[in-house]
Amino acid sequence: METLGTFKNVETAARAVENLIRAGFAEREITSLTSAPYPDGVIVKTDQRTWFRWISLTGAIFGALAGFALAAGTAYLYPVQTGHKSIIALYPTGIITYELFMLFAILGAIVGMFMEMKLPPWREGVYDPAIGEGAIGISVSTTRDHLNRAEKIMQDAGALRITSEETHGTGDRQ
Amino acid sequence: MSENPEHTLAAKSAKQVNDELLSSMRPPTWKWYGLAFFLGAVVAWGIAAFTYQVMTDMSVTGLDRPVMWGIYIANFVFWVGLSHSGTMVSAILRLSQANWRRPILRAAEAMTVFSITVAGLFPIIHLGRNWVVYYFIPYPNQRELWPNFRSPLLWDATAITTYIIGSSLFLYLGMLPDLAVVRDRSTGWRKKIYAVLAMGWRGTAREWVVFRQASTLMAALIIPVAVSVHSIVAWDFAVTLVPGWHSTIFPPYFVIGAITSGVAAVITLMIIIRRAFHLEEYLTPQHFDNMGKLLLVICLLWAYAYFVEVQTTWYAHHPIEWEVWSFMADKYTLLLILMLIGNAILPIAGLCFKRIRRSVRAMLVITVLVNVGMFIERYLIIVPPLSHKNMPFLWGTYSPSWVELSVTAAAFSGFTLMYVLFSKFFPLVAVTDVRELAVRHTDVRLGRAEIHSITGEE
Repeated sequence: METLGTFKNVETAARAVENLIRAGFAEREITSLTSAPYPDGVIVKTDQRTWFRWISLTGAIFGALAGFALAAGTAYLYPVQTGHKSIIALYPTGIITYELFMLFAILGAIVGMFMEMKLPPWREGVYDPAIGEGAIGISVSTTRDHLNRAEKIMQDAGALRITSEETHGTGDRQ
Repeated sequence: MSENPEHTLAAKSAKQVNDELLSSMRPPTWKWYGLAFFLGAVVAWGIAAFTYQVMTDMSVTGLDRPVMWGIYIANFVFWVGLSHSGTMVSAILRLSQANWRRPILRAAEAMTVFSITVAGLFPIIHLGRNWVVYYFIPYPNQRELWPNFRSPLLWDATAITTYIIGSSLFLYLGMLPDLAVVRDRSTGWRKKIYAVLAMGWRGTAREWVVFRQASTLMAALIIPVAVSVHSIVAWDFAVTLVPGWHSTIFPPYFVIGAITSGVAAVITLMIIIRRAFHLEEYLTPQHFDNMGKLLLVICLLWAYAYFVEVQTTWYAHHPIEWEVWSFMADKYTLLLILMLIGNAILPIAGLCFKRIRRSVRAMLVITVLVNVGMFIERYLIIVPPLSHKNMPFLWGTYSPSWVELSVTAAAFSGFTLMYVLFSKFFPLVAVTDVRELAVRHTDVRLGRAEIHSITGEE
């Protein structure tokens, strides 16, 4: 279950996070929702390690192989003889291999990024459109039993409003 | 008015900043419709001229032996060059974490996408027999016709396709958080469209971490693609045996020329956007000063490369090489002088002075002239060497026909029209990137002074 507290500024949001952690909530259960990126630790601490680069690298290797197969393979299978020039020529094979290598690295980076962000989501989380206008959202994902306690802590820290999965649904983003 | 946007931002609420930076997306005015209609009419005229060319044949152009590449290919090289710098400037400034980059990024990235789109049309327009353009594609057929995979046309097609896709994704990636802001402010069908485009972005801490790293990776990936595209375009010329083209300096020279025209175009667009959408507080003289310094360095490099090319030809005095140069200097004197003034003399002399770099009007004149000079340069690279190749009995001249000029006018209008439409549907300034400055900005007391400070990204 997820609940979201909307805060007017970063100070009240950070206070809410500190109180939540003090009350026994784990850092990984808490995240911030902001429309501008804050340095790590200002509101919440997040794991900085990512794996999407491996998708990009996989894409790059696939692209290089595909490019080589397309350029060299087509020339080899359907030879166009021009004077004494080689059938599999260096320039076109090199260029097409390189360009597809880069293209699939880029595509891999984008696909990997969305996969790691888990976007688009299968199930939409709670959200408050005020976040786009500068408000700070603090989201707590926890069991139903602890939900009310988290909401109470955020209210006490100065949340403007609390939106939970049950009361809100996901209509605001559609 | 403060010189630094972060001071402006600190004094404003996030909503106010959103309102101002998204002002281009307000409902269109009559002026906007008038401009869009005019640009659309010019594009329609260009399409009509091209249709006439397809229905008749290539004799309606000025192309004839020995000059079989004319203004269409000059356009192609010019637009590829223009596309170069947008993404590249954005990527370099992102990687170097230059904070002043933020209000400029979007204009530069969008410019790349639109100019490479226009560029990609010209090889097809130039081909002739456009109805069999699918011969490019390797497809099974009973005539056993297979594309020649060694053709430079294929290099261009592959490089341009990669660059169009890469720079479009780079533009989209940068816009993702802004699209979420726009989604939250929209209603009705617009909200549905922006919701799809924003992909469910909520701005969680984890999303920002991945987003930042992906932006850096994309910036690092797009730079070698940009360099390769223009190098490949340069190889179209350099690997031939045409005097004046067969030169080792061509790829770096083309890349430098491309960055020159791209940086100049970004500055021109900054001036237009600043004026049209009242963004004086965000695009300050400081931005023009910094971009002016960048343009100065690139123009110096261009002048150096051009000098090296000409002095080597002059000193070697190889008969046919010198003939081409003499022919260009004699027949195209005015264009040559205009090119040298626009690309070297004026920007180098002018941009040395801070007062000129910070004057919006002076920068507008200089940057427009740089691109006029750059278009002329493309024309002079292509036409004079083809006019006077190795066989004197095949020397000739070339002038573009009304059809070619109409298509060229349509290209400029089409580029502008795409920008005008983009401004109505997408944020022209990177809203969240700019607002990040406010988040990171603080004034620190040091001794007797209060020092303005911005927290680093790492």
